[in-house]
Amino acid sequence: MNPENVLEVLHVAKSFGRHPVLKDVTFRIQPGKIVGITGENGAGKSTLLKIIVGWISPDSGQVIKKVATGYCPQDLCVFETLTVAENFAYFGAAYGLGNGNLPGSWTAKKEWLLKRFRFETYEKTLVSRLSGGTKQKLNFSLAVLHSPLLLVLDEPYSGFDWETYVHFWDYAEEMKSNGTGILIVSHFVYDRSKFDTVFELKGGTLQCA
Amino acid sequence: MRLRHIQTGWTMTARELLRNRIAFLLFFIIPTLFYAVIFLVTTHRQIAFKLASISESTFLTVSQRNEALIFIGLAAVGILTSFLALNLTQKHAAENRRLVLCGFRTYETLLSKFAVLLCVIVGVGCYVGAMLPLLFTPRRFLLVLLGFMTGGYVYGCYGMLVGAIFKRELEGILFIVLLANFDVGWLQNPIYYAQAQNKAIIRHLPGFFPSQLSMVSAFTDHSFLQPLLGSLGYGTALLLAAMLIFWWKMRIRK
Repeated sequence: MNPENVLEVLHVAKSFGRHPVLKDVTFRIQPGKIVGITGENGAGKSTLLKIIVGWISPDSGQVIKKVATGYCPQDLCVFETLTVAENFAYFGAAYGLGNGNLPGSWTAKKEWLLKRFRFETYEKTLVSRLSGGTKQKLNFSLAVLHSPLLLVLDEPYSGFDWETYVHFWDYAEEMKSNGTGILIVSHFVYDRSKFDTVFELKGGTLQCA
Repeated sequence: MRLRHIQTGWTMTARELLRNRIAFLLFFIIPTLFYAVIFLVTTHRQIAFKLASISESTFLTVSQRNEALIFIGLAAVGILTSFLALNLTQKHAAENRRLVLCGFRTYETLLSKFAVLLCVIVGVGCYVGAMLPLLFTPRRFLLVLLGFMTGGYVYGCYGMLVGAIFKRELEGILFIVLLANFDVGWLQNPIYYAQAQNKAIIRHLPGFFPSQLSMVSAFTDHSFLQPLLGSLGYGTALLLAAMLIFWWKMRIRK
């Protein structure tokens, strides 16, 4: 792997039965770059992301990443019968983060994220009682709890209101300036200027959009 | 193995379970109802049966009601724990996988659920067993409690295995209802066993050792070691199979 890259996807192919979804996908992400992948429904965007994070394996090809990765799945993937704070505690333990008020602890980062995305009033609320947008904020926050150097986001801002959308991009810019490589998959790319590179996934291959 | 992960998983799973108050209450109401029905429909007529773990030629003669109370107590513990184990294993499949992606190991996820299941097995086993002295006095009460707990252990591990194999709830429930009805709900009753033609089938079902342990302890002074070890071995084999399948399904490709 080229040390200048936080992610290398090399000739990845994946079929489901006789239906080829990805034919030959190759791209790289460098630190501090935001890469977008767009495409129609069923183009294979989520499949590609699941291969990148290791959720499913490719039929052929290689994914190389050697930095801490944060993944925000498209479908809400949080514990609905736990509170917001308990979800942070659960995932904080999974990332191996300490608790307490020390810098780098999950508790400190939780406080910061709750304020940053304006859902601190719901800290002790069961997730099942939250609105869709607030659930999505939690879904995203859990992906960045450990300050990853590679962030993989599948439709991250669906359900966000305008203000949260703006906050999201401010935060993405901050992470970018700190050297995090960000991969965003979405149906549409609204703000082309925010991306360093945008690909379109079409016919199982990536094309520059 | 990292204890902090298992402890966190145990805490969160236990909190979720305790928040489901209706299900939690049913864990105590259902065995009480089972006992009440048995109490109402049985008499103290003496019945004779043989216990497989003692001798094929030795017949015991006990009260029909007492025999049925032990049998139904074990069935209640087995059925309840297998359903809970199924629920714990199947529920939050995607969220658990995300945890694994974030750093949990698959066996830590399953072990934390198993630890919660063990607590429930002990709680329900003790509760169901503790009601017995109100209805009759088993010969070795503490060993009957142990028998109920091993029933919960074996069937809890079976529930975990079914939950690890099947993604959807319906298939899981059908598999549990099917076996539990046949096994602890019918064939392990010594009255049926005494008359059965193919006893080898009954001896290989999950409820065999726990029911033998409970019956031997309730009505005789014979050794309980063989059914106890058999129960632990059977349950552990099911648990290991569940962990293997769970690991296979949850594994992350590096």
